Amino acid sequence: MKRETDYGNPIKMFYGPQDIEGLDYERDLADPGIYPYTRGYYPKGYRGRLWTQRMTAGLGSSIETNKVLKKYRKMGERGGMCVICDRTFAMPIDADHPIGRKEAGVLGWPGGSLLEFEELMDGIPMTGQSVTLLSTCGSAPLQLAYIVAYAEKNGVDLSEIHGAAMSYPFANCFGQSDCQPLDLNVKLFLDSSEYAIRNKIKMRSTIISQHFREAGANNAQALAVEMAMLNQLCGLLVNERGLDFDDVAMLPYELVSIGTRFFEEIAKIRAFRRMWAKLAKEKFKAKKDRSCQMVIAVHTSGRTMTYQQPLNNIVRATIQTLAGAIGGCSAIDNATMDNAHAEPSALAARMSLNTQHIVADETGVTDVVDPMAGSYFVEYLTNKVEEEAYKIWNRIEEMGGMIAAVESGYIKDMVEEAMRERHREVESGDRVIIGVNKLVIPPEEDFEIPIQEVKPEDSEKIARRMEEWKKTRNMGLIKECLSQLYEDSGKDDKYNLMPSIIEAVKAYATAAEVVGVIRKARGLSYDPFNMIECPFNFD
Amino acid sequence: MEKRKPIKVIVSMIGLDDHSVGGVVVSSILRNAGIEVVYLGTYQMPAMIVQAAIQEDVDVIGISSHASNYAQIEEVIDLLRKNKMDHVLVICGGTIPKKQIAMLKEKGVTEVFTPQTSSESIVNYIVSNVRRAN
Repeated sequence: MKRETDYGNPIKMFYGPQDIEGLDYERDLADPGIYPYTRGYYPKGYRGRLWTQRMTAGLGSSIETNKVLKKYRKMGERGGMCVICDRTFAMPIDADHPIGRKEAGVLGWPGGSLLEFEELMDGIPMTGQSVTLLSTCGSAPLQLAYIVAYAEKNGVDLSEIHGAAMSYPFANCFGQSDCQPLDLNVKLFLDSSEYAIRNKIKMRSTIISQHFREAGANNAQALAVEMAMLNQLCGLLVNERGLDFDDVAMLPYELVSIGTRFFEEIAKIRAFRRMWAKLAKEKFKAKKDRSCQMVIAVHTSGRTMTYQQPLNNIVRATIQTLAGAIGGCSAIDNATMDNAHAEPSALAARMSLNTQHIVADETGVTDVVDPMAGSYFVEYLTNKVEEEAYKIWNRIEEMGGMIAAVESGYIKDMVEEAMRERHREVESGDRVIIGVNKLVIPPEEDFEIPIQEVKPEDSEKIARRMEEWKKTRNMGLIKECLSQLYEDSGKDDKYNLMPSIIEAVKAYATAAEVVGVIRKARGLSYDPFNMIECPFNFD
Repeated sequence: MEKRKPIKVIVSMIGLDDHSVGGVVVSSILRNAGIEVVYLGTYQMPAMIVQAAIQEDVDVIGISSHASNYAQIEEVIDLLRKNKMDHVLVICGGTIPKKQIAMLKEKGVTEVFTPQTSSESIVNYIVSNVRRAN
């Protein structure tokens, strides 16, 4: 068995003062609430506010997802709700697209129009909890438009709504994606983010190192890519869109993946707080303290959830949740015990939320802020992962930043090599996974757990509903709105498309129609899969 | 005597499935074992996969699957039959529930490899089961 960190740094038998030589408490750690925030942002820690305990929902139709959301609230979800998009909305294509009708409602919520959002949120409060909609860059402007349109139609004060609706533009190289080209995604990211910032809408953008890590990257790589993404995206909003950094800093929140390498995961979160604080203050010259405090949400690692002996995964999620809590994150949602089999069953969801409550209420972890501080080992690991991450991040910056590194193939090669290395380590036994390469049992003796089923006819049903509903819309109005969007899309790249997207969404144009029209104006095919023609003529 | 051509395998995701880790890793495993791999990547529809199988004259189609578009895997098998390509083995790998495994095998998928299957067993399966068209 290997005795080294997941980024290949040897681990000694014990650690002492010599391993953190030069560590200066005030400069490198400081009390919670004080720059560089290694120990967290709040002196009261979880006594002031517990982390948001949530469970990601999204499967089948919007009405079914709404029922699940309500159930999760009863099961102990606290502080916020989280919905993930299905494969059609991720692209986005419509549910009644020839491919869409086979995949609508698969892996998430089919949020192809404002109608779907209205059904999703029926009877669920938009305020008093965070509303997080996870999707891709291609569908993110639609989600922001849903929030704006829904608030207006239902008389909800938009300034009271908070959460996240936008997404980062790099998912396509991390195996979690839409099918839009990078330049369009960057534009959609900048447009939606700029619109939210200028209009003081408290909807954040999810910047996700979790995808990168779940694809196989190690902690140092994940941290480096996280920083490179933040640096470039904030830089674009400041330099290209002329926004003030202290406003821009309120936009991103970081979704990190937490695995089972307990101490390393805690160190990673602590290092990340320090790295962001330094970037915000030293490079972007942040004027406000809050701008140096990156909100960190945790998704415990789906990759570590094994197919074999799925009950073992509850134990893994517990360790990971505890690491996230000790690390001092703002929100946690857990991968579930059935993660390697299917979407969460009701039992798996309940266990996942129970896990969070047990960690929060029974362990004492909420009593003290940053309890690992001063541990020779954890401080060493915090320094080490930061040092290794800086090396990789510097390489990315030398290439010209994250966009250039993606375009050159550097990021893709890095993650693919990491995937292969991961596999080699498990196969050789260098990394032990119980039930996989140790204490293996024959498949016929394996634990039986309930499996959430999805049937092909469920997707077809969602598709047919959309097909019929589309015929009932005011096509004159939709055409008018989309003509405006088409015209705007032909303007300079800095021309913000959100106002015309919002008008189109209010008229119940679908996600595929909105993004299709933007694509067409940019000289791309209306349908990313070239299977359907643009139903509108703008000449 | 004519040298036997190496076994040729398509590795592909299907439909809108973009979880590519399994496909990337399995491609490396097969290449290291001397098997020729045609890696199609993501967003491959059943007709595209079968078209590639015809063009590349492959022995095996390997579908890496993450969640619930199994009907499309069945379409691949139907299309192979229509094109008289029954000799091509269709194998799958990924996070596929047990019940689905039975259904896929009934439909004609010859083997399904669940997560963490050893490299050796995937390679051995392909080498011992490949059917050459005459």
